[in-house]
Amino acid sequence: MSGEPAFVAAARQSGAAAFQALGGLPTTRQEAWRWTNVQPLGRIPFDAPAPGGGAADLGALQLAPGTVRLAFIDGRWSAAHSSVGALPAGVRLRSLQQALRDDPAAVEALLGQVARAEEHPFTALNAAHLLDGAVLEIDAGVTAPSPIELVFAQRAASPATTHPRVLIRLGAGARAQVAELYAALSTGAYLTNAVTEVSLGEGAELEHAKLQMEGDGGYHVGTLWAAQSRASHLRSHVFSLGALLARSEVSARFDGEGGRCELNGLYVGQGQQHLDHHTSLDHKSPGCTSREVYKGILDGRSRGVFTGAVRVREGAQKTDASQSNKALLLSEDASAEATPQLQIFADDVKCAHGAAVGQLDDQALFYLRSRGIPLPQARALLTRAFAEEVVRGVSVAPWQRRIEAVLARKLGGEVRA
Amino acid sequence: MTATAAMLEIKDLHAKVGEKEILKGINLTVRPGEIHAIMGPNGSGKSTLSQVLAGRETFEVTSGQVLYQGQDLMALSPEDRATAGIFLAFQYPVEIPGVGNMHFLRTALNAVRRKHGEEEVDAMDFLSLIKEKMKLVEMDQAFMNRSLNEGFSGGEKKRNEILQMAVLDPKLAILDETDSGLDIDALRIVAAGVNGLRRKDRAMLVITHYQRLLEYIVPDFVHVIAGGRIVKSGDRSLALELEQKGYAWVDAQVAGAPAPGARP
Repeated sequence: MSGEPAFVAAARQSGAAAFQALGGLPTTRQEAWRWTNVQPLGRIPFDAPAPGGGAADLGALQLAPGTVRLAFIDGRWSAAHSSVGALPAGVRLRSLQQALRDDPAAVEALLGQVARAEEHPFTALNAAHLLDGAVLEIDAGVTAPSPIELVFAQRAASPATTHPRVLIRLGAGARAQVAELYAALSTGAYLTNAVTEVSLGEGAELEHAKLQMEGDGGYHVGTLWAAQSRASHLRSHVFSLGALLARSEVSARFDGEGGRCELNGLYVGQGQQHLDHHTSLDHKSPGCTSREVYKGILDGRSRGVFTGAVRVREGAQKTDASQSNKALLLSEDASAEATPQLQIFADDVKCAHGAAVGQLDDQALFYLRSRGIPLPQARALLTRAFAEEVVRGVSVAPWQRRIEAVLARKLGGEVRA
Repeated sequence: MTATAAMLEIKDLHAKVGEKEILKGINLTVRPGEIHAIMGPNGSGKSTLSQVLAGRETFEVTSGQVLYQGQDLMALSPEDRATAGIFLAFQYPVEIPGVGNMHFLRTALNAVRRKHGEEEVDAMDFLSLIKEKMKLVEMDQAFMNRSLNEGFSGGEKKRNEILQMAVLDPKLAILDETDSGLDIDALRIVAAGVNGLRRKDRAMLVITHYQRLLEYIVPDFVHVIAGGRIVKSGDRSLALELEQKGYAWVDAQVAGAPAPGARP
């Protein structure tokens, strides 16, 4: 691309090199990909779809009307569908291409600083095909005026891949709420390979929600990489509601003491959906707290996978880590895998983990039916109730409502008045 | 035969869980307006009887018959029994995190109303209805905003059961050890709630281990169940006798003679 800073081309080259060095697409012989076969993705071209293609209606993809929003269609920023308005001083939100034009130094300071392309084939692939994405910078002490939405819509019917890159930097004490929404305007096969890099300054607070609502034929791989400075707080929510096959990863590391990280996840599989989740918490520093709750609801022939790695390094005393993964199987053909991976190299720590796979509770079903609630409605009610813990963790009401609406469509039932 | 038609007729009811037979020939007739107490030692089958009547599928009815308003009760699903007017107050009400108490109650009421071709109650109308009913069991509205039974104390759970009964307005209420786990104050509130729901056209089966409850909820008939059968029936003085002599007295009677017909 003309006028593009040299470091971008360098990032693409090193991404491509890393992808080669890692052996290309992973196979199920690799431990981290044991449950998820991504080899079929090799049939989808990794190039972005051609730009253009007429009007697109993203109205249905808005989470909250009138909010700050950047929209991307087929991997490219769409000014027409974005609404940023006047942001207060200290808050800058731009597309990656805009940021590269206006302030390349800011991009250079963030790109590839948290994500580890050399360790992850899809992050490497994302770097190799770097095109567009979002850059959010919030200066020290500043709070973003409202929740921020990043919408990634796939329109192209032809098979293609987009590689959005989101860069988020919060200065010391800064605060923000950011949602990434992934969806399709068509039903064809495509791949979204997203990478988000989050850098939190001292005492900064970020609530991040990923709403994976890709189309029925879609494939999604997305990794959130986060680096947390002292006493910073990350709340991450991952809602896996769409796609034929999806892999969502969150990899957070504590670079300073007293950090807090909450990882919430909900996956709802039906039909042939395969929904894989991989979390990795690196307790590098002492006195940090992590709370992890992932829940799965699996119907039809769907499969849910959760792997949760927690590493407590030597010297990371007073670490307090807990991890819980529960999966609810609604059909005999659905399945769930859970793999906690705890590596603890410090002695004064609290680490708890639990995993459970089960069905709806007979006693609870009978209780509801004994009050006149018909069996299908009782099942839906209990299924929705199972999801509530994760849904209620989201503090932005419009995001919550959108998730509830999708759950109502997929599962039926209501749990609140 | 008396002039009033029976509401519930249990005839030689046998039921088992797994290979274990628990009910071994229960006979009982209940008419509208009557309160029947069923007393018995642990493991006698009294809670099984309540669960079987409400339709719990864990238990298999092997023989006998249960007629409710002349209809074969065993042919109905639990939800159809409920909408037909049967209500079981659980000994151990189930905690269901994530389902709001208020929403649950309105869902249940509307399920019953739908079944009867009545219009559903909206949230506003339900709120005024529930406020009225909560007075009966001295419940605070804060309960309504909590998850169903989640973190409720024993007394709160039982009050919540009676509140559900008040809202669903059943014809036949089965109270399964509603007194268990209650201190004397909670027992008084729960019993007052139940008494407030006594009606000429409503029958109740009060299942209890202790005579104490029957000082507050005064029954018309008392039956003693042991070994899966009703071994003795009488009026409320039977409960007092049982209190004095203990269940060993019943066991001795069961060992001595076959069970008589249970209709008082």
